[in-house]
Amino acid sequence: MKYLPLILRNVTRNKIRSIFTGSSIAVSLFLVVMLYSFLSVQDANNEASKVHNRIIAMNVQGLTGDVPIAYVDRIRKIEGVRYAVPYSWYGGMYKDDKITFGQFGTDANSIMNVLEEYKLAPEQLAAWKADKTGCVVGSILARNKGWKLGDKVPLKGDIYPVNLEFTVRGIYEGSSSTDREMLWFHFSYLDDSLKEINAPTAGNAGIVMLNAESADIMPDLMKKIDSTFASSDAPVRAMTEKQFQQSFMEMMGNVRGFIRYTSIAVVVALLCVAANTMAMALRERTREIALFKAIGFPQSTILGLFLSEAVAIGLLGGVFGALGAKLLFEVVDFSKWVPGLGWLYVPWSTALAGVALATAIGLVSGIYPAWRAANVSVVEGLRKIV
Amino acid sequence: MIPIKYNLRSLMARKIGSLMTIFGTGMVVWASIFAFGLYGGLEKTFNTSVSPLDVLILRQGSTSETASAVTEAAAREIMTFPGIATDDQGNVLAAPELVVISYISKRDGSGNANITVRGVLPNSRLLRDNFKIVAGDDFRPGVREAIVSRALSDRFQGLRIGEEFIVQDKPFKVVGYFESGGGTSESEVWTDQRVLAQVANRTGATSSVQLRAVSKDAQQQLIDRITADEQVALKAVTEEQYYSDLAEQSFFIKMIGQIIAFFLTLGAMFAVANTMYGAIASRAREIGTLRALGFGRFSILAAFLLESLVLCVLGALLGCAGALLLGEIRTGTMGGSFTEVVFSFNFGPDVLFKGALLAVVMGLIGGFAPALRAVRMKVVDALREV
Repeated sequence: MKYLPLILRNVTRNKIRSIFTGSSIAVSLFLVVMLYSFLSVQDANNEASKVHNRIIAMNVQGLTGDVPIAYVDRIRKIEGVRYAVPYSWYGGMYKDDKITFGQFGTDANSIMNVLEEYKLAPEQLAAWKADKTGCVVGSILARNKGWKLGDKVPLKGDIYPVNLEFTVRGIYEGSSSTDREMLWFHFSYLDDSLKEINAPTAGNAGIVMLNAESADIMPDLMKKIDSTFASSDAPVRAMTEKQFQQSFMEMMGNVRGFIRYTSIAVVVALLCVAANTMAMALRERTREIALFKAIGFPQSTILGLFLSEAVAIGLLGGVFGALGAKLLFEVVDFSKWVPGLGWLYVPWSTALAGVALATAIGLVSGIYPAWRAANVSVVEGLRKIV
Repeated sequence: MIPIKYNLRSLMARKIGSLMTIFGTGMVVWASIFAFGLYGGLEKTFNTSVSPLDVLILRQGSTSETASAVTEAAAREIMTFPGIATDDQGNVLAAPELVVISYISKRDGSGNANITVRGVLPNSRLLRDNFKIVAGDDFRPGVREAIVSRALSDRFQGLRIGEEFIVQDKPFKVVGYFESGGGTSESEVWTDQRVLAQVANRTGATSSVQLRAVSKDAQQQLIDRITADEQVALKAVTEEQYYSDLAEQSFFIKMIGQIIAFFLTLGAMFAVANTMYGAIASRAREIGTLRALGFGRFSILAAFLLESLVLCVLGALLGCAGALLLGEIRTGTMGGSFTEVVFSFNFGPDVLFKGALLAVVMGLIGGFAPALRAVRMKVVDALREV
């Protein structure tokens, strides 16, 4: 510990170099932490949703297959099911948006019981139930689009050949792990509009979302749902909400692999950068190190001093980069520019892992220069003119 | 001007430091190319699907074929419109096609994806440039046979020649592999339109009409005429428009690539600046000598900028070589309308050039401040430095 002032002095000796190395590490770590947060938050949210015992039943042919609306009532009657609702993706386009957001036709009587972690004021729920063309929107979505209660939201049908116009009757809230960028409306509104034009796509619930009475009965319940419709025209497969989310991620492709490869490249690049810095420090101080050794400092101390300096720079970069990422996501809301990212934040575990990674980079990059420093020959070193 | 030999020899004199910097920037360029190549590959797949004179007719409001429906009557009428090209037998180059989705498991066990199964007519082949059967046979009309691309067959179960896959609940047998110049068709399974319509219970309706106009003018007239007809409620778009809209839906991948490249380049700039500061600090006397010999300030600035540029360009070459060494990486993601698009990373000249351009930016910006410091050195002080 008594060497701490010396180490800090060495770190701040060539300020520009330390700042630049630290910045290089910080900027790169910022990126890595951001990318990994994307994965870890998703995993955490999936994990968090487990307590709600939700099951999704979808057509064995995937999301684009039919689940007849009559299935909802049949599923509701199966023992162990608390509530069941249709959850039909409408996918309409708002104004000139190129990208759609989550719009689901569902059942106002039960949706708040199925998605029990979401909060909607009772009078708003009542107002929504009373209005056939009413809808309820997430708080982030409402803010980003500037919608207030009573506003009209016209959507152009994309998947479905009908345009729907909604009136905002409620704005739901939820914790940071919930998706507050969805719009829920009455399934019957979509379905009746489809029936009016005799569309063959009428009567499709999309998927059925339900919650089980307890976690223990879920495996049996899923089997029961599967077998109930096994020999019908539209057999379904029941899965936990987590499995459903995972299957969605899998369709996006190898996101995990992509993030991993990028991060590995970043780490290797940073190792080079940090090692280079330490090598430069070593070159400048060869004479000084020789002097240290000449007056009796053991090799291990020199080694320790150099390694500590490398670790300090890595740590500094990591703290700024990883904690900077955390801070930025706390302060700035990116969902304004990137719809659908309202749930993203940097968890402490990921930020701290980033700091640890930066420290490790500092340590590893310092090993060879430190070893060289420890082995500086006293005679040669003293004679050396930089 | 100071001869470039001076810079090259200086770089050689600090071998380890130079190599570290080159390797670091190389990793950054490599990672950026990797990120650009992902979106570049997707974009290329969409672009090569475009024939400039082709028109795609969809239901009004739908942005993809999956969600579209065109009645047989409307399709037949459109095919009589003037301005449509003909093949050498005098048949119009237009094909009403049916698109059905099948949910198929990936070979590597990482879940399922929605695969586009396209029911085609004989003319469909002429509407895709460079369509050819490369292995096995074409499917026979009237039976449940299908052809796929090799890329798709490697990625999904049941799609190799001789294997079977399920559409709705009927098995189809794969009899051959086709190519179509790398476009989106290579992410599809092709089969007989009539057979598919029967299996999918969609006789009498098709998803879209593809046609080729005789000229750009005729193309516009056809589009105007079809769009103007309020009764049939169809929309006609050029293939170019259709695919650029689809590409836009994958903006997320593009954005991630740009974010990665931005942060990595920023990080690398600091590292380059560090290296150059080190180089200049240890060569103060040399710089003083050069100035004393009569080299002007501008020469010094140019020389050091050049040196930093050389470092980065060497890094860029390393990064490009690294990307090329990866060879062809096939991957897939969810394109528009939840269906799988299979594509290869694009490490073509344009993507490599973008990566190299980043290196030039790193070199110029990162090297500027250090070079400026070299210029500002007072000759007397510089010469006095040890």
